[in-house]
Amino acid sequence: MVAASPTLAKPADARASLFEGWRALADNYVARRIGKAVLTIWAVATMTFFLVRLMPGNPVEQFIGQLIAQYQLPYAEARDQAASLFAIDLDQPVYLQYFSFLGKLAQGDLGTSIKSQGVKVTSIIVAFLPWTLFCVGISLFISFGLGIILGALMAYWRGSVLDYSLTTFGSLLHSIPNYLIAMILIIFLGVRWELLPVVKMRGSMSPGIQPGFTLVFVLDVLFHAALPILTYVVTTVGTWMLTMKASTTATLEEDYVNFARAKGLTDGRIRTAYVGRNAILPLFTQLTLSIGFVFGGSVLIESIFVYRGIGTILVSAVSGRDYPVMQGCFLITTASVVFANLLADLLYGYVDPRVRVGQ
Amino acid sequence: MTATSEPPRNAVPDPGERGVFAPPSSFRMPWGQATDARIDASTLPDDIVLSVRDLTVAYRVRRGTVKAVRRISFDLRRGETLALIGESGSGKTTVALALVRLLVRAARITDGSVVYRRGARAVDVLRLGAAGLRHYRWNECAMVFQSALNALNPVIRVRDQFLDVAKAHGMTDRRAAEARALELLRLVQLDADRVAGSYPHELSGGMRQRVLIAMGLLLDPQVIILDEPTTALDILTQRTVIDLLRRLKGERQFALVLVSHDLALAAELADQVATVYAGRIVECGTVADMFYNPHHPYTLGLLNAVPTLSGDFRALDSVRGQPPDLIDLPPGCAFRPRCPFGTDECEATDPEVATVDPARSGVAGAGGHVVACLHADAVAKTFDRHASAARK
Ligand SMILES: Nc1ncnc2c1ncn2[C@@H]1O[C@H](COP(=O)(O)OP(=O)(O)O)[C@@H](O)[C@H]1O
Ligand code: SF4
Ligand SMILES: [Mg+2]
Repeated sequence: MVAASPTLAKPADARASLFEGWRALADNYVARRIGKAVLTIWAVATMTFFLVRLMPGNPVEQFIGQLIAQYQLPYAEARDQAASLFAIDLDQPVYLQYFSFLGKLAQGDLGTSIKSQGVKVTSIIVAFLPWTLFCVGISLFISFGLGIILGALMAYWRGSVLDYSLTTFGSLLHSIPNYLIAMILIIFLGVRWELLPVVKMRGSMSPGIQPGFTLVFVLDVLFHAALPILTYVVTTVGTWMLTMKASTTATLEEDYVNFARAKGLTDGRIRTAYVGRNAILPLFTQLTLSIGFVFGGSVLIESIFVYRGIGTILVSAVSGRDYPVMQGCFLITTASVVFANLLADLLYGYVDPRVRVGQ
Repeated sequence: MTATSEPPRNAVPDPGERGVFAPPSSFRMPWGQATDARIDASTLPDDIVLSVRDLTVAYRVRRGTVKAVRRISFDLRRGETLALIGESGSGKTTVALALVRLLVRAARITDGSVVYRRGARAVDVLRLGAAGLRHYRWNECAMVFQSALNALNPVIRVRDQFLDVAKAHGMTDRRAAEARALELLRLVQLDADRVAGSYPHELSGGMRQRVLIAMGLLLDPQVIILDEPTTALDILTQRTVIDLLRRLKGERQFALVLVSHDLALAAELADQVATVYAGRIVECGTVADMFYNPHHPYTLGLLNAVPTLSGDFRALDSVRGQPPDLIDLPPGCAFRPRCPFGTDECEATDPEVATVDPARSGVAGAGGHVVACLHADAVAKTFDRHASAARK
């Protein structure tokens, strides 16, 4: 054994160092976490791919049938057309199709729409996503900001009228689905009391408005986004508020907060760096996830207000069986949520030093 | 003469010169509370930095009123250490918190006064307004909480927590404040640079306790209050902290109020020891008084609870039974249900704090030896007998 070891040492070392390198990579939290995110997106992409192609009555076959029935195309021609629309070569074995799909996906090619023939799915998404990002992004910003301020106030003034009314209000709003709020807003603000021109407010912008960084355009966009934003804020602010209240209430009881008072720190400093900073930590992960969901938009809110965002696209894709577009929407949503999650995990260490990872 | 028979030193507003505390005497907080609570210092003996009279604190709870602190009076002499010793729940922490006005909302200081003095000027702490109070805390009187392990903000580095304190009290020179923080961390035998750059969770319990002690010294307060400074620590770390405190006491001039359930700790660090039972000081004297000439059965019991090498005082009972319900106190002496010396008389009268040796000061903490027991002499004689028996 002892005599043999020098000769064996070399290859064993090489293999060991390779293994060590792999281990180091696997032990590296960031690398592991990114790997996991990529893996998740890959899994979702794979699932959508096989769902679309391998299920009985799969959309490609259905589409071919539809083309034959509608345009009396011969089977081969219909098949070619379908193949080009789905950006797949139907003559290839499935695994090759799959690899070519992945290759195109990696280049950001999601195929072409069936409904609006020849239009690339990516360009549809690029055209509609900004509206959703704008509308839901602003809503999230307002909702989160308002929620933490009100939540903190409720915690500081526990037992006050403000606390009681906001708690009741918050839990009520929290339990009403957003499409109901949207309809209530339309019915009361628009129809009953005629406070808002809801019909004019439909869509993402008024016809004839020239897009650009002009005041008219920005105001018009805000005018059209107002109701979706209001609905979104009203339905989500309660959750932020109540979470922040609970978190602040707990933080106020912490010894380090009381001790900060013993140290004669100013109230302002205690409220921000000692109470606020610590109370907001539990909301951080939730916030990043919500940012991820911004990309998905809200199907119901957008369709009720006829807001031209990603949600509206998804609805029309579903009703029109526009599989490539559906596939694209799902992928975008998945990817953004997964990346938001990744971001949350990677950034959490910076906001809470206690979970800061080594290496 | 008894400690409580002294005339209460109540506020005598003096509109003349400005007080110790920054705001001018005419300054009023928006909510109308006077920030100037300065009183005439001439009634206080020169060497007293903190004078507590008849301090009474109650917690309102659903079941009634918890009489946590009942007419506690003591003086703290400059540079000396007074230990408040008692079982858990006897009201020590409540006293300490009242001294810096950090009691929870459910608590009320229903009576008494706390006078703090620096040089020729004195203030009534209980009447301080928000600004004056903020200045008093930490600058004049630094209180380190019982739960020292959780007393530091988890998301801020130790260095910045020092700077927070410095900034709050007007030390605008960041560089100087930081240098002083590092110097103090070295003084408490920590690896200053490393600790300053650390977050609290990266430090052990003993290190955190030492960080707090260093922080307490940052503004050179005249009074430091330490609530159970060693309780959460393992036995070796306790030793380090005790040795450190003893050294600091010699090197720095601060008066220390040491709160503990551990009489042995008092023996090591204190000049004066007060035993606290059911919210009252039942006996107070020098370390020698308390260990060699105790006059209260409760002190005796605690002494017996102190492990001694020879196993002395075995014959005396240690403190048996449960502390009383502070909402519904027994009539007369609160110690009666547990007292081996108790008589019917004890149930009728709640004994006042009285001096043991009329030749000495009658005030707790100021060098006197006082006790609140109807049969103090009998208690002292019994102790003597057992002590001399044990010596043989
Ligand atoms: N926040 C509170 N609310 C109600 N009662 C309290 C509170 N804090 C302490 N007490 C009561 O006051 C008494 C004294 O407590 P404390 O001062 O913490 O004693 P010690 O520090 O000697 O252990 C106890 O009986 C305790 O139950
Ligand atoms: S007064 Fe009576 S009951 Fe109270 S401690 Fe003295 S002897 Fe015991
Ligand atoms: Mg305590």
